[in-house]
Amino acid sequence: MSLRRNGLLARLGEKERFALLLIAPAASVLVLFQIVPIVIGANASFRDWQLYNPKETWIGLAHYRYILSDPVFLTVVLPNTFLLMFASVAISLVLGMALAHLLNWNFRGHTLVQTVILLPQMIAPVIAATSMRWTFNDQFGVVAAFLRAVGYGQISWLAERWPSFLIVLFTDVWIWAPWFALILLAALKSLPREPFEAAQIDATGRWRTFTHVTLPMLRPVIGVCVLIRSIDAFRTFDQVWVLTGGGPARTTEVFSIYAYIETFVNLDFGRGSAAAIVGAVIILIVAWTMYRAVDRLANVSR
Amino acid sequence: MSAPAIVAQGAPARIVGVLAPGGRAALIVLAALAIVLLFLGPIVILVVTSLRPGWAVYYIYRGTAFTLQNYLDVFARPAVVRAFVNSFVLATLATVLSLGITVTSGYMLSRFDGPIPRTWFGTIYLFRTVPYISWVLPLYLVDYYFGVYDTFAGILLPHIAVHICFFSWIMKGFFDGIDPSMEHAAMIDGCTRWGAFRRVALPAAIPAIAALAILSWLYTWNEFLFALILTGHNTALITVTMAQFVTELGTAWNLMSAMAVLAMVPAVLVTVFAQKYVIRGLRI
Repeated sequence: MSLRRNGLLARLGEKERFALLLIAPAASVLVLFQIVPIVIGANASFRDWQLYNPKETWIGLAHYRYILSDPVFLTVVLPNTFLLMFASVAISLVLGMALAHLLNWNFRGHTLVQTVILLPQMIAPVIAATSMRWTFNDQFGVVAAFLRAVGYGQISWLAERWPSFLIVLFTDVWIWAPWFALILLAALKSLPREPFEAAQIDATGRWRTFTHVTLPMLRPVIGVCVLIRSIDAFRTFDQVWVLTGGGPARTTEVFSIYAYIETFVNLDFGRGSAAAIVGAVIILIVAWTMYRAVDRLANVSR
Repeated sequence: MSAPAIVAQGAPARIVGVLAPGGRAALIVLAALAIVLLFLGPIVILVVTSLRPGWAVYYIYRGTAFTLQNYLDVFARPAVVRAFVNSFVLATLATVLSLGITVTSGYMLSRFDGPIPRTWFGTIYLFRTVPYISWVLPLYLVDYYFGVYDTFAGILLPHIAVHICFFSWIMKGFFDGIDPSMEHAAMIDGCTRWGAFRRVALPAAIPAIAALAILSWLYTWNEFLFALILTGHNTALITVTMAQFVTELGTAWNLMSAMAVLAMVPAVLVTVFAQKYVIRGLRI
């Protein structure tokens, strides 16, 4: 056995063997702690596997059929997940772009602003969510105090679907707009000056300069940012869990929360795993489509 | 010659020039203030709440009573102290180990070509996309099966794996920015491939890796989902312990804020003192 493997390795050549050696530690950890669990989860998703009663009998696609016809999954979880992903990425991008432009003017105190917007990126999402939960507390929160002061009355933010969703979205934007800002700022600073000087000589307005000069040159960076951020926004868990726990009445559940609740609240490991697989397949398809689009965008602009 | 002069009056006039001279500066200052308020506000609210006595939290209190009692109360709980120690050790070990195994992987992606790097790159892209929940759910069973659930190893090993794809990719970027001709020269002078990596490429990449180390440490310190699923009483971590203040005590907001403020101390230190490095590390 080992002889044959040595033979195979020997045929690879010294350079290839060194390449394999370099990735061996990372690859083995990846296989053991990511790929093997995924296979175990995929296997469990076809079985009757309650955490309190793991019969492990093969039941085929029953879990998948259940999830893909579950009204909660279809009418709440999927729309929430995609809405959060789309809205968070879009708003963070626009806000981040504005922030990047502001910071690109070297006004006095711009380092202070940069320091302040870096904080949301560095603190734990759980802390950000805790802070927002307290800020929007319907009785003792700062926002409630403000609303009462202007005579608007009380809003039970976290007791209804859309206000809760808005707060989750706001928290996510609060965390991620700075990320867009810092990356776009670095990109802005690395742009060549000549096109801007040319635009200035032609007396192009600021907005036209932005849409016709800045945006096309930033397109590859924006594409990559949006792709990465969309993939991560799809799996958002921390903020939603701390802010709403998926409630009230499961109306703010996103995909990760759904899989978690099926597994650890309903104690159905099989169904939770199936939900996790469904989500993984969806995001792989979405990411692949976006990747192709970003690739095309980057090539067009060259 | 006259064109730039026209621009100087013409272009900015459209947005802020209609304001009095100095209007543009005022606008920037206002915008900057609004941003500081928006992004610092929630953090300030936490800090203020953490300094309020317990009785002042349950109505909208604008008085001047401040206390450090919340911090003392939080630290009087052995579970909290243990959580801080656990998180600190976990973040440090996970950073050292995961950077250790991804640095060679990133180097390989940067310097080699052919089917092996292409396959590895594809693998990384693929598993960077798979949501955490899809592999942390079964990891719970794996941990149970191997008897490491709620032990340090049971949370450390998955944490090394979390960032393999992301870090390999970032490390590749670091090495792409380093001219490989020095390594070729070293190899001509009799250095082995490993020697060229170890003595030439690695030292050149150290500053970038240090930036990534800071980020990696914070990511692990801040992580919640893995901690929620893979840890119990023996290995409680700060994020989970903090989130439990909600359920355990209903609304012990003053204590929870104190815990949150303590938990974000490293983030604040990094933001203030290592800003430049961190921003470089955030690069994609």
